[in-house]
Amino acid sequence: MDEAMERESVPETSNPIGFDGIEFIEFATSRPQALGSLLEMMGFRPVARHRSREVELYRQGTMNIIVNAQPADVPRIVEPVERPVISAFAIRVRDADYAFRRALDLGAWEIPVRARAMELNIPAIHGVGESLVYFVDRYDEFSIYDIDFRPIPTVDPHPSAVAGLHLFGIVQYIGVDRTADWVEFYSRIFGFTPLSDQVRFGIMPKGLLLQSPCRNFYLQLIEPEAGAGDIPLEEHLHRVGLGTPDVRDAVAQLEKRGIEFVASQAVHANDRGALTKPYLGGVMFELVHSDSAPKR
Amino acid sequence: MAMNFADFGMDTASLAGTLECKLAAIRGAGFGQVMLAANDIVGHPASATGGNRAVRESGLRVTGFEALRDFEGLGGKLHAYKVAVAKSMLELCHGVGCDLLLVEATTLKHAHADPERVASDLRKLAMLAIPLGIRIAFKPREGSRTAHDLASASDIVFRAACPNLGLALDAFDALVAQTPHDDIEALAPQQIFVVQLSDFMWHEIRSPAEHASTATHFRVFPGEGAHSDELAALVRRLDKIGYAGDFSFDVYNHDYLQMPAESVADRARAAAEWLGETVLRRALPVPNLERLAQSR
Repeated sequence: MDEAMERESVPETSNPIGFDGIEFIEFATSRPQALGSLLEMMGFRPVARHRSREVELYRQGTMNIIVNAQPADVPRIVEPVERPVISAFAIRVRDADYAFRRALDLGAWEIPVRARAMELNIPAIHGVGESLVYFVDRYDEFSIYDIDFRPIPTVDPHPSAVAGLHLFGIVQYIGVDRTADWVEFYSRIFGFTPLSDQVRFGIMPKGLLLQSPCRNFYLQLIEPEAGAGDIPLEEHLHRVGLGTPDVRDAVAQLEKRGIEFVASQAVHANDRGALTKPYLGGVMFELVHSDSAPKR
Repeated sequence: MAMNFADFGMDTASLAGTLECKLAAIRGAGFGQVMLAANDIVGHPASATGGNRAVRESGLRVTGFEALRDFEGLGGKLHAYKVAVAKSMLELCHGVGCDLLLVEATTLKHAHADPERVASDLRKLAMLAIPLGIRIAFKPREGSRTAHDLASASDIVFRAACPNLGLALDAFDALVAQTPHDDIEALAPQQIFVVQLSDFMWHEIRSPAEHASTATHFRVFPGEGAHSDELAALVRRLDKIGYAGDFSFDVYNHDYLQMPAESVADRARAAAEWLGETVLRRALPVPNLERLAQSR
């Protein structure tokens, strides 16, 4: 009763920034070719290069992955090293400037504008660890890539997805007792909603799931396990989750391309999901059963 | 020894000398934690980097970082200015490996005192602190129109409703204001992020001016002042409601700044022994506390 009344008293804020999915996920690494090869094994194709920076765009189906090898140019962002890390994700919103201003009003940290002449200024805020969250509103008639990137000649700019793979979510490792803080961050700034413990996807059912206002994207917050030792883990974006309507088919197709999956007693591929082995010092992808590929 | 020093820490403001001397005296007296002021770090002869190194090498855990003042209730450019100051404080706090920033309720006449607005500003501050893993401890101040006592500060923290926003309780203020113990019992233990302990020598304080001078010059360690019984009762009350966080001695005393740091640290040690052995008895098993936690 109380809960229902509370929900009614909340004004139209379920999707305050017009959250409409994820435009891209960015990895930073000083060895972009090595990561590029892994991404190609995962079914992505390089489709474009940045005009002025050491940045490449990989694509498959509806997913865009940016590989960034550009040295860090402002404080508190990822300095590319050999081991690739997830350094940013970009949210599609109704009005990027509005979403950005609103985030700053709520207490987000802006990063200094980095656009050069003739480049788009994509507003961004600091996220977990050294990662960034971008706000993108150009994804309908024309895209950010039309302006800042040059297509790679003779390459299909829209390669289809292996086994219907689509972006499902990102797993974020957090510190002890930090779940409530990050729920606060993602719900207030972006409109994410925490899901009940009963809702689980895939084969790694740990931590807490947050659902995006557009219901197409999930963040999974995982605190260290009890007794995991005293060494404090830096909070970070750990791995990307890919949805597929048929996990076993996706595993078979990716294995054919050379990807290996974890096959232990506790973690192994089944109808619900699968986990790739760690590559390049720790990059792994999780497959999750999911029918609904986002639009586009 | 029966008592547990881990619960108690000293404040660098109680001691004379360089940061390194203060830290050595605190460590030498057996303490494991220290409350720092921003000036300890930025005022270090080898800049903030040197200050951070000194703290790291001391092996002391940092209880908290003092203090952001006059933050809330401001408009326009003043607000933007204070947000910039707050960001600097948060970065310093993070840089020294501390996860708690103390924020004193504003005493500015320019500040709006509307509780909703104050709560909103503190919510923004708490949001700024989330990516850095910092908690905000809001401390009432005598003479503040936003939060002059524990009850009003608690009301604002409750309105702001952020997981990383809580209260700093200063026993000195509680003694001077003769805060009813019911006010303390009304607090949830998880709402109190840190407790600062000090006493003073006179039996009563007759004017706001006397309050101010006593607070900044004439505080003494617990067990040394005129209100040992009240202080002991307060600490027991906190223990009873389930407070299990840190106690920091916030003794600001001009006489102590003319004494060798080691001998002042010895006085602090005597205070910790008095509290640990005769008041708190925390080193003993506390089955009652666990029962209390379960009944919540």
